[in-house]
Amino acid sequence: MVVARRQWFQVPWEFRESALVTVCAVIAGFIIQYFLSGRGVVALHLPYNAIALAIFAISVLGIGIAFRGNPVVKWLGGIPLGLCLIVAIALLSLIGGVVPQGEVAAGSISAQLGLNKVFSGRPFAFIIVCFLLNLGLSLSWKLVPFNVRNIQFILFHAGFWIALSCGIFGAPDLQRLVVPIEEGKDNAFGYVMESEIPQRLPFAIFLKDFSLEEYPPNLLRYDTKNNEVLYNPSEPLIQVRKGIRASWDGVAVEVLEYLPFALPGQNGTPEPADRKAGIPFAKVKIVNGAAVSEEWISVPSPMFQPYTASLTADGVLLIMVPGTPRAFKSSVTIQGDDGGQMSALLEVNHPVDFMGWKLYQMGYDQKSGRWSQLSLVEAIRDPWLPAVYLGFFMIMAGNLLFFWNGIKKREVAS
Amino acid sequence: MIVDFRTAAVAAIICWVTGSLVGLFARQTPAMRFPEYILSFGGSLILLAFIASYWSLLDRPPLRTLGETRLWYAALIPLVGFLVEYRWKITWLKYYCIALAAFFLAINIQHPEVFDKTLMPALQSPWFVPHVVVYLVAYVLLAASSVTALHNVTLQLRSKKNDHGESVSHYLALLGFVLLSFGLIFGALWAKEAWGHYWTWDPKETWAFLSWLAYLAYLHAYRYNIDRSKLQWYLALSFVVLLVCWFGVNYLPSAQNSVHTYTQS
Repeated sequence: MVVARRQWFQVPWEFRESALVTVCAVIAGFIIQYFLSGRGVVALHLPYNAIALAIFAISVLGIGIAFRGNPVVKWLGGIPLGLCLIVAIALLSLIGGVVPQGEVAAGSISAQLGLNKVFSGRPFAFIIVCFLLNLGLSLSWKLVPFNVRNIQFILFHAGFWIALSCGIFGAPDLQRLVVPIEEGKDNAFGYVMESEIPQRLPFAIFLKDFSLEEYPPNLLRYDTKNNEVLYNPSEPLIQVRKGIRASWDGVAVEVLEYLPFALPGQNGTPEPADRKAGIPFAKVKIVNGAAVSEEWISVPSPMFQPYTASLTADGVLLIMVPGTPRAFKSSVTIQGDDGGQMSALLEVNHPVDFMGWKLYQMGYDQKSGRWSQLSLVEAIRDPWLPAVYLGFFMIMAGNLLFFWNGIKKREVAS
Repeated sequence: MIVDFRTAAVAAIICWVTGSLVGLFARQTPAMRFPEYILSFGGSLILLAFIASYWSLLDRPPLRTLGETRLWYAALIPLVGFLVEYRWKITWLKYYCIALAAFFLAINIQHPEVFDKTLMPALQSPWFVPHVVVYLVAYVLLAASSVTALHNVTLQLRSKKNDHGESVSHYLALLGFVLLSFGLIFGALWAKEAWGHYWTWDPKETWAFLSWLAYLAYLHAYRYNIDRSKLQWYLALSFVVLLVCWFGVNYLPSAQNSVHTYTQS
């Protein structure tokens, strides 16, 4: 195809004009950002952000339908501008994917340009607004007049529009509060990350019990002369179970018995105990040349010195260290200001809903490990979530059709 | 473990290589087809059997560490090569696929995984398997698409016309994009349950979004009838973004706070 050299801004506009506008939007964003010393975009809260978004959506659809013949509107909703904006979003995301995001020293060039907060900065905001305009216009032309054949396009593009716009316009309404609760007490105040001022929640959480389960402990060696744990990261960890064998420099070790929950008895020999108080004990057989010994070892406990076993004459001990956490949970009672009450078990990956909030098991006092008396619960409220999820499910539905049509076309092609 | 990894890996590679050699003879003697298929599929079956035994030994799906995902990848990508051969009668793709799989197995032999059965609480979720498997299959398809595109580029440089190859790279990219979208959204839905929010611009999320955008841009360029032969370059290079997302993120300065760095191996 032979193309006569187009003049700038000769209709129909194409990639050159699109690239120019995109670059201008990004540069303008960075300049404004620079003079505002990296301050983010003004955040609108409900209901103002919802009103603003509704006005924006109606205007985009209205302009698209009313001026569909206008060459500038056609260009605004066309693929060339869309592609340039996708590239711009990708490049800004690239900055966000390489430059660490978070607080940096004020006054640095990164802070001035907002590179440490790309996704809440002006360049990103400008590009996203342009992108929603572009996407919305192309959508309006497929929506009116409606045709069933366009359903895949509509689902994917409208889904993306809804998820993106509601995710971004709704971000200021997202509340995330960390609620620290001690065992046997309640708390109705949460903290925003990086802030000392507590905020009152519409409910109080009472922590009945915090419990942490660990994976089986691991066997390690401890050098008492240099006071260091001997551990080679490229060697597999030896997880304790009955019958497992290991050997180091000719010293062979075999676990004869393993008690996951035990406490020392009268004569110091471990005896099985309940899950709450007991700690892991193991009886090991150590064979060092002709010398054979059988001893009990344990993980450290807040109550007594850990049991260890001597491996060699020069002061190397066999020790047992606790396994990593397998699960941790908080048994809580939640008392709402409105009188509602609920008992729940909070666990990672199993949040609980209460009065429009979602409560998550977030953390605990890591220094105390399974003896922690403190549970960190995160309370999250996101009134825009249903809209974003609607968008997600529309994208997935559109994708299924895309997949289906792709396969059908492929059969025609082959 | 029933068989150790090195034996399984070497056996699989031997199967694929002899299968391919037998395949060369099969061009003249159709009777050789059957042993060719048996050997080629046998290689992947050995790896899948190894994964199954590894899974039961670990008591958790072997999908957590990069080395474990490479293992799945090595088992699955030759299968895509064989499927493309079966579906479109394109034989060369499987050689690339086998080379890629052997390369990943070699990395795993060089860097044996620290044998670790633990699975942190955040990963104990019904979303774990679908999220990772959808991504794995997407990566497998997009790798095949990238390899096909690379092959198309070399054909172009030798001024050979190759419409068929271009449509193969396109459909592989299309299917890969669909799965990439599912993987991204599954990840977001899971993140809401595990971390409290569906999108936090975690470095891995950002790079997953970037790779998704790369293929989104490709599909729109294709739709706009941009010269298909030029797009082969683009498709061949897009996979680099995926590789950064898969392995590279751990080495970027932004990764220090990522929730996705479970292990560095």
